[in-house]
Amino acid sequence: MLKLRPALTIGLAAAFVTFLFGGWSIVVIGLLAGAMTGLNYGQRSLKRTPREIGQEAIVPGLVAAGMVVLGGVVFSYVVTPAVGKPLAYSLFLKFGKTAVRMDYFFVLMISIVAGVLLGALASWYMASIQGLPEHTRRARLIIVLVVFLLIFPFFEQITNMQWMAAVITVQIFILLALGLNIVVGYAGLLDLGYAAFFAIGAYTAGLLNSPQIDISWNFWLVIWIAAAVGSVAGLALGAPTLRLRGDYLAIVTLGFGEIVPVVFRNLITVTLREPITRICFVGCDPVKEVRNACLYACTGPLDLTAGEKGINPIGRPLIPFTPENLFGANYLPWYFLILVLILFSIFLIRRMHQSRIGRAWMAIREDELAASQMGIDPVKTKLMAFAMGATFSGFAGAFYGSYISAIFPGVFDFSVSVIVLCMVILGGLGNMVGVIIGGILIMGTDRLFLPQMATLLKGFMTATVLPNVSHPALRDFLTFSLDPIQFRLMLFGLVLVIMMIVRPEGLVPSAERRAELHAGDEAAGAPPLEAEVAAH
Amino acid sequence: MLELKDVHTYYGNIHALKGISLTVDDGEIVTLIGSNGAGKTTTLRTIQGLIRPRHGTITLNGEDLTKVPAHEITSKGVSQSPEGRLIFPRMTVKENLEMGAFARKDKDGIKRDMERVFTVFPRLKERISQKGGTLSGGEQQMLAMGRALMANPRVLLLDEPSMGLSPILVEQIFKIISELHAQGTTILLVEQNARMALSIASRGYVLQTGEIRLQGPAARLRDDEDVRKTYLGEH
Repeated sequence: MLKLRPALTIGLAAAFVTFLFGGWSIVVIGLLAGAMTGLNYGQRSLKRTPREIGQEAIVPGLVAAGMVVLGGVVFSYVVTPAVGKPLAYSLFLKFGKTAVRMDYFFVLMISIVAGVLLGALASWYMASIQGLPEHTRRARLIIVLVVFLLIFPFFEQITNMQWMAAVITVQIFILLALGLNIVVGYAGLLDLGYAAFFAIGAYTAGLLNSPQIDISWNFWLVIWIAAAVGSVAGLALGAPTLRLRGDYLAIVTLGFGEIVPVVFRNLITVTLREPITRICFVGCDPVKEVRNACLYACTGPLDLTAGEKGINPIGRPLIPFTPENLFGANYLPWYFLILVLILFSIFLIRRMHQSRIGRAWMAIREDELAASQMGIDPVKTKLMAFAMGATFSGFAGAFYGSYISAIFPGVFDFSVSVIVLCMVILGGLGNMVGVIIGGILIMGTDRLFLPQMATLLKGFMTATVLPNVSHPALRDFLTFSLDPIQFRLMLFGLVLVIMMIVRPEGLVPSAERRAELHAGDEAAGAPPLEAEVAAH
Repeated sequence: MLELKDVHTYYGNIHALKGISLTVDDGEIVTLIGSNGAGKTTTLRTIQGLIRPRHGTITLNGEDLTKVPAHEITSKGVSQSPEGRLIFPRMTVKENLEMGAFARKDKDGIKRDMERVFTVFPRLKERISQKGGTLSGGEQQMLAMGRALMANPRVLLLDEPSMGLSPILVEQIFKIISELHAQGTTILLVEQNARMALSIASRGYVLQTGEIRLQGPAARLRDDEDVRKTYLGEH
């Protein structure tokens, strides 16, 4: 007898998305829900051959995709009228410059059919590859993932889903979370000021590739410099503070995270003077200075960061033999650039994790005293973790600066550090897959679902509720105070608290944890040493 | 081989070791006994460089260890099975043992020593892919000793290997220590279980409030009136 509960749970969660978006999202979400269901059923299946496992997962896949479709239908026939949109409207398919008009009903029909079919197919395939040996399974999984990641952005562009901006932000935060995972997950050092390194990367890229101080180096060079500056900043923060442990380290990093944006906010009148002779090198006014050796910006103090106004515009990446505005025109090149950056980072981090330094991080996290008795230099190892973590947020910062094309000190506040930390913890400390999933969930909620929810709620209020409410105070409350976006931090806090109670190891626990549970089963089976010896 | 000369160690203002001098010669088991707070663990930590002595010298084959950073002392040939074992709970037995050889580069030697550890502790071989934290107390003690052996030390420091183990297990652990000694390992054994320690050691030191009160061949310490009263519980 097949149990359908997991499929229903996955379907329900996924249906929430289509309930908010409807339309083409049914196709994407149906596919994803099917894939997850297949993965779930495949891993728990008692059948042996891939064929049998796959067949077993088709029905649950259909169920999950069915829920998704249901969500989409509810969106179309309940939510849409409730938020005051007409039932029948048109969507456009964009093929480059040409747009094709499509009736919404028609879109819905196509989406439902495609969503259900793709959901069942994905469920079948993902389940059936669970029956393969480890390495082929991995290869298949990676191929499927790559195909999805390649096709999805084009599908998104053609169907005009308007998800791309959010998706790229999610990717940037995933890169950040991967970096923080080194520090928090691998080396076990709590860093609450991680946004500082993000800011340092972004400002480095901003300074070296903008009219601010009139340097415009190539993006491809600047991104490496930003990463290098990030890692140096990591060393600079780490060197004096890494003797601290646990809470104390967290407090110092918290302070660092607060200081860095303030520094960038205030770097608006910079002059560099040799302290004894008072000879000035940078940012002097040659008319007023008597003894000057001005090297750079010799018309008064230098404005490095433009304070609150921010650095704007920051140059875009250029690729030889492509149109100069390739990275200006649309989202696709950005999507693929950050995707490549993420894959590159995953590759590097994996290699590091499996090497000597990865072992040393693990040992330090487990027991610092014992680690130093094994011949591990704790200071060097921790510094390395800080520097590597900062390197990847340097990458992310440089990309972010160029992508948004303007950076402001206010962007890099404490909430960024907290959200990235939430991603790491939610997904599972020390596990990259978990961290990525945590990132998708948290940032997807933050940038995609909450804004959409806010729009819908606003429409719902104006169209359905407010006409029936006459009390002015209540009207005010309903119009202004019920904004899901304002609840976001509370929501994340709630998620963290619930996670800590229900599943402290994260959604996808690291292999160590999983194996630990497994080993626990074995231990229960074998008689403990004491008992055996005592029996003699 | 290992020699401490007039070592004074402080925890802040607390004078923990008040001029300890001891030697461990090649191939010997030397035991350091004493009650709680006498400074036994402090002595081992000082040798390992985890705490710096304020006065005195620690030498290994004539080489001064007092200035060597803690993490390099392991590669000089001193390794320790620490008090409370301090194994890595979330690493497997194999990974724990590999961590013991972290400072070494000679792959063949590491492999050989791994085999040796598994001959001495067949238990560990049975548990090879199990997490350290899921082992029983006795197994964890074996793992801590095995891990220390993986550094291929010239001197093995054992800090209270009998702590928290049942009497039968204590006997087993001590049998293994004698075996290791028979194979030529030099051991400095810190113990509260003075009777067992003195039964396998060749020489012993009695530590009391940071000072060495008595020293000599183990057999003579065993017969000493004070030792019998204070540490062996005889009247």
